[in-house]
Amino acid sequence: MKMFVCIKYVPDTSEAEVKVNPDGVTVDSSRFSFDINDADNYAVEESVLIKEAKEGDVTVVSIGPKKSDVMIRMAMAKGCDQAVRIEDDRIAGHDPLMVAKALAAAIKGQEFDLVLTGCMASDDGHMSTGVALAEELGVNHASMVKKVEVLDGKVRAHRELEGGLLEVVELELPAVLTIQTGINEPRYAPIRGIRQAQKKELKVVSLDDLGVDPASVGSDASMVVLEELYIPEVESSAEFIEGEAEEKAEKLASILVKGGLV
Amino acid sequence: MSTESQTFTEKYDLLGCIQCGRCTGGCPVTVRADLNVRRFVYDAYYEEKLDELARLAEIWDCTACHTCAVRCPKGLKPLEVLLGLRTMIIESGKVEPTVRDALQSVLLEGNPWEKSRAARSDWMEGLDVKIAEPGVPVENLFFVCCTIAYDPRVKSIARNIVGLLNKSGVDYAFLDESETCCGSEVFTLGEEGLFEMLVEDNTELLNEYTAKRLVCLSPHCFTTYKTRYPDLKAEVIHYTQLLVELLEEGKLNWKGDLQKTIVYHDPCYLGKQSNVYDEPRTLLKNIPGVKMVEFERSRERSLCCEGGGGKMWVESESKKERLAETRIKDAKALEADIVAVACPFCVLTLEDAMKSLGYEEEMRVAEIMELLGEFVEA
Ligand code: SF4
Ligand code: SF4
Repeated sequence: MKMFVCIKYVPDTSEAEVKVNPDGVTVDSSRFSFDINDADNYAVEESVLIKEAKEGDVTVVSIGPKKSDVMIRMAMAKGCDQAVRIEDDRIAGHDPLMVAKALAAAIKGQEFDLVLTGCMASDDGHMSTGVALAEELGVNHASMVKKVEVLDGKVRAHRELEGGLLEVVELELPAVLTIQTGINEPRYAPIRGIRQAQKKELKVVSLDDLGVDPASVGSDASMVVLEELYIPEVESSAEFIEGEAEEKAEKLASILVKGGLV
Repeated sequence: MSTESQTFTEKYDLLGCIQCGRCTGGCPVTVRADLNVRRFVYDAYYEEKLDELARLAEIWDCTACHTCAVRCPKGLKPLEVLLGLRTMIIESGKVEPTVRDALQSVLLEGNPWEKSRAARSDWMEGLDVKIAEPGVPVENLFFVCCTIAYDPRVKSIARNIVGLLNKSGVDYAFLDESETCCGSEVFTLGEEGLFEMLVEDNTELLNEYTAKRLVCLSPHCFTTYKTRYPDLKAEVIHYTQLLVELLEEGKLNWKGDLQKTIVYHDPCYLGKQSNVYDEPRTLLKNIPGVKMVEFERSRERSLCCEGGGGKMWVESESKKERLAETRIKDAKALEADIVAVACPFCVLTLEDAMKSLGYEEEMRVAEIMELLGEFVEA
């Protein structure tokens, strides 16, 4: 099994307050901690589990700054074999299509069976980079994958749909799978493993190295314009309905009817 | 196994064991869990058994209270055999998610609480705190502790001492956001590689400050710096030791009156492991109006609260009464109004036990610095 796993270095916004910079389109990240995107962490684990079961080779691909190397080394400590980090400010990072093009450039021309990505990035929440990547690579894809079975020349993917539905699909390889959280239990990368992973190859490349015309993945090529970021206002307060069950039901029904909600 | 070439038998001096069983006899968690530490000391002699031993759930029940080490007549540290087995699990990567996240957070952010490094000094907000500068000599360099810096419940330990230091005129300074986990819990969780890295990095960082003493607010940092950082230049003390000096120099001015009965709980890392028993009692005794009582199990026999040994991140499977609950019941029987402690972990575990027993109306768990904040002029 020859695999690629695409990962993203993202800020943890669960603790620190999110503040939009005066430019209106970027966020002040000085007080955030950064780590691997949650879903991508599961993708890394899944690639290593497949490698352990079927033998193979995993290459990490990421677009990000030098300080994200620690995340890449952690993935290699867990069992990934080598990595490519694309560092180039000219990529329109807010557009999943442009991101997918850059990632595809790092993969194209090499043989592969599977490409795994997280199903969603926790910072921009687009949920589309993996799917766009499959399109760029011209291969099959399945998104929101909760279980993977590798068969002969095929892969059976269990997809998590809305309303608790599970869809099982079979795809011819090569394919891209976007991995949903909870598919496995990501392991810990011990420091001694991270130190050993220093010996594995981590290639840092620019768009030029990949032979990509910067104009084709920059903001000019992008059809997405980031106009404004803002913190949504709290729109209304909760109302507690008091009384006996019947009374409560009646009040609730009248609120729904008045509000035109039913 | 660890990458070191030493065998378990050599590393932990297993052949020194005379199988007297004093370790297990003194181990506080035996009343709740299936842990028999003597058995591990015995079985770990067989290299081929190590994998099997490492998979036993009870290796995670040890709270690293060190009672076994204190009691061993041969000077062994039986608990370290358990920690060595934990290392094997850690290095396989297959650990509880809570443990994984705590350790990873230490590596990435310098604290086990998954908080951003940039927020480490937020506890100082609104206070006039002297910040240390490399190369500028300082008498007392303070080390706050990850838990005190980030946990809103125990932040007041650091905040209250600042007021007191400013008032008394002692030469002191605190570290800024560069303060990084001492590794106490990293060590007891068995992440040897990460602990070695912390010792290296922290020694370098702390030695840059020309400090005479490193004053730790938590007994866990205190004991760790004192016993596991061989190249640290500064003398390591606990804050209660500094405050007793100030008391003797007449620099603590008492105010108010606390007409309460206090029982002091010796934290394992302050008492058993570092022999600081009297200073906390001296401070408490001097609070105007206080009546002190003692637990039957006090000083070196003090009962562990189960907050150490990485237990903050490992859920106990046992349904039996928590040791912290036993402790609170004992305090209740002594008719104590306040259970005073000198450790942030003890505050969290004992207070939790007090609440689950429903005693919060009539009883209070307080860190010494919380009480001093109320009864010493600042
Ligand atoms: S350190 Fe404490 S809990 Fe751990 S084995 Fe020793 S006595 Fe038992
Ligand atoms: S107390 Fe020491 S000598 Fe006695 S059984 Fe335990 S480890 Fe062995």
